[in-house]
Amino acid sequence: MTITNIEIAATQSTPAIHADSQAGRLVMRGDSYPENSFAFFAPIIEWTERCIAEHGAVSVDLYLLYLNTSSVKAMMDLFDLLESAHQNGRKVGVNWYYDQQNVRVAELAEEFKEDCNFTFEIIAETAAGE
Amino acid sequence: MNHDDLRLIRESFDDKRILLCFNGPFSQGLIEEIGSALRTYLSSDAATSSALADVFGCYIEITQNIRSYAQSKGYDDVTASAIVVIGRNAERRYEVLAGNVVEEQDAARLMTRIEALQGMDKTQLKTAYKEQLRRPATPGAGAGLGLIDIARKASAPLSCSLRDTPNTARKFFSLRVVI
Repeated sequence: MTITNIEIAATQSTPAIHADSQAGRLVMRGDSYPENSFAFFAPIIEWTERCIAEHGAVSVDLYLLYLNTSSVKAMMDLFDLLESAHQNGRKVGVNWYYDQQNVRVAELAEEFKEDCNFTFEIIAETAAGE
Repeated sequence: MNHDDLRLIRESFDDKRILLCFNGPFSQGLIEEIGSALRTYLSSDAATSSALADVFGCYIEITQNIRSYAQSKGYDDVTASAIVVIGRNAERRYEVLAGNVVEEQDAARLMTRIEALQGMDKTQLKTAYKEQLRRPATPGAGAGLGLIDIARKASAPLSCSLRDTPNTARKFFSLRVVI
C-alpha cells in the first residue's frame, strides 16, 4: 500500500502541511502553537516514517516561524527520526528557510541543527514563506 | 463600578505603561485572538522583530501553562480566571506579568523551580532546556519546559510572588518577566 499525501491548510496556531509521497517531500509553513501539539504532529511524524521506509529518502522544507515549547518537542521527535534514518544510510535532509529580519527563527533552527548530523541547511531569505 | 472607578483604572494603566491587559478565564481561541492583537500592537509600537518574538513567545507559554494547569485541576471559570498584563517598565523594556490561582502544594513546587532558574546564566539555562526537552513528558507536571523557555527570553531573572486567597488551600501566584 502506498502512503497517502497530506494537505492541511494553516490556521492561526498551526502551520500549513504539504506532504507529497511521490516526491518524498514534506513542507511546513507558518506558526505552531496549538493546545495539543502531539496530536497535531503525530500523523506528520508517521507519514515521514513511512516515506523513509518506502522511498529510503525524504526531504523536509520548513518555513516555520514561532513554535511553542510543545511544538519544539514534536519537532525534536521528527528530527530524531531523521537522525536515525540518516545513521541507517537513508538520504534525509532539512532546509529551513527564514526571513532575514527574524533572527529568533534562525536561532531556533540553529539549536535544532546542533543535535543533527544529516544535511541541515538554514537559509536566509529576503521574504521567507511569501 | 462608577465613572470615577473607570477613570482610576485608566490612570493606573497610563501610570504603569500597560499596553494590554486581560482578566478572565483563557480558552485556546482567546489566547490566539489576544496574541494576534498583541502582535499588531507591538509592531505599531515599533518593537524590534526579536522583542516582538520574545514578548509573544512568553505570552503564549504563560497563558497556555495557566490554561493547562486550570484544566488539569478541573477548575470552574471563576477559579480558572487569570490576569495577564503586557507593558513597559520604567526602563522602557517590555514586561509580561501574569497571575493565577494555584493549589498550595503546587505553589511551593513552582516557587522552588523558579528559584532554581533565577540562579542560572544563559548557558546553564540552555543546558537545562535541552535536558528537559529530552525528558519524557510527565502528565500533570507541566510548566517544566515552558518556564525555562521564558527564563531564556528574559533579560533579567524571573520574579515571582505568592499571596493568600480567601480559600486557604489556594494561593495567588504571580510571575513577572522582563524582556
